[in-house]
Amino acid sequence: MNRRDFHRLGTWALGGLVKLAVAVPAVAFLLNPLRKKDGTPAAEAFEALVPLSELKVGEPRSFGIVRDQVDAWVKYPREPVGSVWLIRQPEGVEPRVVALNAECPHLGCAVGRSADGEGFYCPCHSSAFDAEGKPMNRIPPRPMDALEVELSQDADPIVSVKFERFRPLATEKIPLA
Amino acid sequence: MRKLIADWFEDRAGLGSRLRSMREEHLPAGPRWGYVCGSALLAVLLVQAFTGLMMMTAYSPGTPTAWGSVFFIEKQMWMGWLVRGLHHFGAQTVMVLAAVHLLQVLFAGAYRAPRELNWWLGLVLLGLLVGFGHTGYQLPWDQKGFWATKVSTNIAGGAPVLGPYVKTVVVGGVDYGNQTLTRFYGMHVGILPVLLTITLAAHLALRYRHGLKPPEGAPTEPPPGGWTATYFPDQTFRNSLVVVAIVGLLFGLVFWHGGAPLDAPADPSSPDYPARPEWYFRFLYQMLKYFPGHLEWVGSIVVPGALMTTLALLPLLDKVIPSRALHFLACAGAFAVVGGATFLTIQSFVEDARSESFQAARKKADAENARALFLASHPDFGVPPEGSNYLFRHDPLTRGAALMEKKCLSCHVMGGKGPEGDENAQAGSDLKGFGSLAWIRGLLENPGSDAYFGTSPENDGMVEWKKTTKLTAEQLDQVAEFVAGFAAIGEDQTVDDWLNTEGVADHPGYDPFVKDCGKCHYVGGAASEITEGGDRDAPDLFAWGSPRWFRRMVRQPSHDSLYGFLEADQRMPASPPDEMSDHDVSMIYRYLRGDYLK
Ligand code: FES
Repeated sequence: MNRRDFHRLGTWALGGLVKLAVAVPAVAFLLNPLRKKDGTPAAEAFEALVPLSELKVGEPRSFGIVRDQVDAWVKYPREPVGSVWLIRQPEGVEPRVVALNAECPHLGCAVGRSADGEGFYCPCHSSAFDAEGKPMNRIPPRPMDALEVELSQDADPIVSVKFERFRPLATEKIPLA
Repeated sequence: MRKLIADWFEDRAGLGSRLRSMREEHLPAGPRWGYVCGSALLAVLLVQAFTGLMMMTAYSPGTPTAWGSVFFIEKQMWMGWLVRGLHHFGAQTVMVLAAVHLLQVLFAGAYRAPRELNWWLGLVLLGLLVGFGHTGYQLPWDQKGFWATKVSTNIAGGAPVLGPYVKTVVVGGVDYGNQTLTRFYGMHVGILPVLLTITLAAHLALRYRHGLKPPEGAPTEPPPGGWTATYFPDQTFRNSLVVVAIVGLLFGLVFWHGGAPLDAPADPSSPDYPARPEWYFRFLYQMLKYFPGHLEWVGSIVVPGALMTTLALLPLLDKVIPSRALHFLACAGAFAVVGGATFLTIQSFVEDARSESFQAARKKADAENARALFLASHPDFGVPPEGSNYLFRHDPLTRGAALMEKKCLSCHVMGGKGPEGDENAQAGSDLKGFGSLAWIRGLLENPGSDAYFGTSPENDGMVEWKKTTKLTAEQLDQVAEFVAGFAAIGEDQTVDDWLNTEGVADHPGYDPFVKDCGKCHYVGGAASEITEGGDRDAPDLFAWGSPRWFRRMVRQPSHDSLYGFLEADQRMPASPPDEMSDHDVSMIYRYLRGDYLK
């Protein structure tokens, strides 16, 4: 290798080194949203919504979920984050209350009740679901997302829901981190 | 295939041949270290542009959001500290390299024909770089940037005739706020980069037109066998070596500092923030001290302006004054300016290091800085939705202490100390530990001490009681404990509710309290009267030391159930809600009770 070859190689190598040194942090910076956030305790908690006696059997009611939110650098106390449908089941059926996330499993619109009152319907691309949240046509990739429900020990138990969100379009329920 | 594509492009754009001619530029005197400066400057500028673009994806201009977003970049984003650190120290490197580049060109006499145009473009570039530094400095909207920018824009505003208008336009109004940030941001990431790109492109184009200035005595004819050294790879190798060294130094600085500094959020009401410009402007700052206030603009605008004008005129003067003499004068002048600036810079830092008041103010600012970062990163606190300027307003330690200082410490003391740790004409109790068990026990032990009623001798009920009381030390302990429990009485609790809660009527301190304290202090509700009081004038003690009692004491200290029995001039002045909000009262209360994040 002669002097000029050495210079050529040196220029490439050193130049590459500098570019790499700046590119690596930049890529990490841009990929920041992919990073797992450590411990979001709110996501684990059950949200108390309503006493059981206020729900009528077979008639879905929607409830907003409000919780402390951290949006990048800002901490918002008590912000709405989504809503759920609660459906009380007939006496003797377990679980006593079914909770469905109102976020459409198709592309995330808000699912409302269908015109006939029998089930649910999403106005965005006409996903239809029955009263249990099972798909009634081929548009939704999966049933509406059922959420864990807890009833307190009181005489008139309080219905609490563990609010979780799942990835749209997936055929399985994959929790959003 | 590769050749095919290359040819296609060559046909249409002619890029390849142009690049090749740049690469194959001949270096008559071989590669030189002296040629690296411009390239190094260009490389660092590219680092700046790149890291700057990255941060644009995360920064949010606006007074409520700017600090929070920079905090997020610096402390929470993946390698955000590294990206921002590179940008921060890169900016300083740019200033240094630009100055070195300028001097080098000056010493080489490269301002002479035919390079006059490029010399002027270089001066314009220098101005733009200063603009970058200036606009970028305040984007975090932290104390440091805020005050430094306020000072420098006010200097501009002090210039005769147009000054005030220029300042108002630059700042976006009379006050510093959202418009200041959006304007500075727009300048920093939009207007200045466009201007810089255009000017730099012209600067580089001219540099290729004229070639690098060969040293004196370099051969002008190619030696037999042709030139041996070309720009690539011989000069580029040296450039790369130097750029690696500089970028390595940059990384070193960033790692050493763990990122770039971020001061506490800007607070226009802070009374004693020691504002200083970035170190490369220190000489200007120091020079201003030699000018009387109304002539400030001479030091800050006329002197630098005259300097730049002289530099700009050099190529023209070269035509009038003998070339060598002018060059000698210019170099001597440059030495004088650099020497003077260095001297002023050092003098400024030495003065600060020796000044006790500066050190004290800096220490206070550093403590606030640490507190702000602590609160913002605490999971139970965080940056509030109202914005970073509200960070401290929700913090009892900062807000409560500041309010105490302003509202209470003209009479009361904290641990024997008045405002800012000085003496005051004490006319009230020592509030340190107010309402705590130790505080109450101390009162029961020695009510006449300065910490309690010693400095308000008219308020002598407790002192009289102490002379006659038969309570034993153990009983006093129990009474103190009992009274300390009053602070837990809730906002809506009535005396009757409270009496029925567990641990009240059967508390060992209950009986001695009723028998001794109850002679003067009244505690009673609708259904039951615990004590009758009345032997002497004394405040109602129900819920004493609780937030509700405290708030009443602040709002209506002269109420009949509190200290209305004192002569008018001995009473504590009331603070109505328009003077101090309920939120502020609770900040003071929580500060006194030590109820804040530690
Ligand atoms: S989002 Fe509901 S149907 Fe497409």
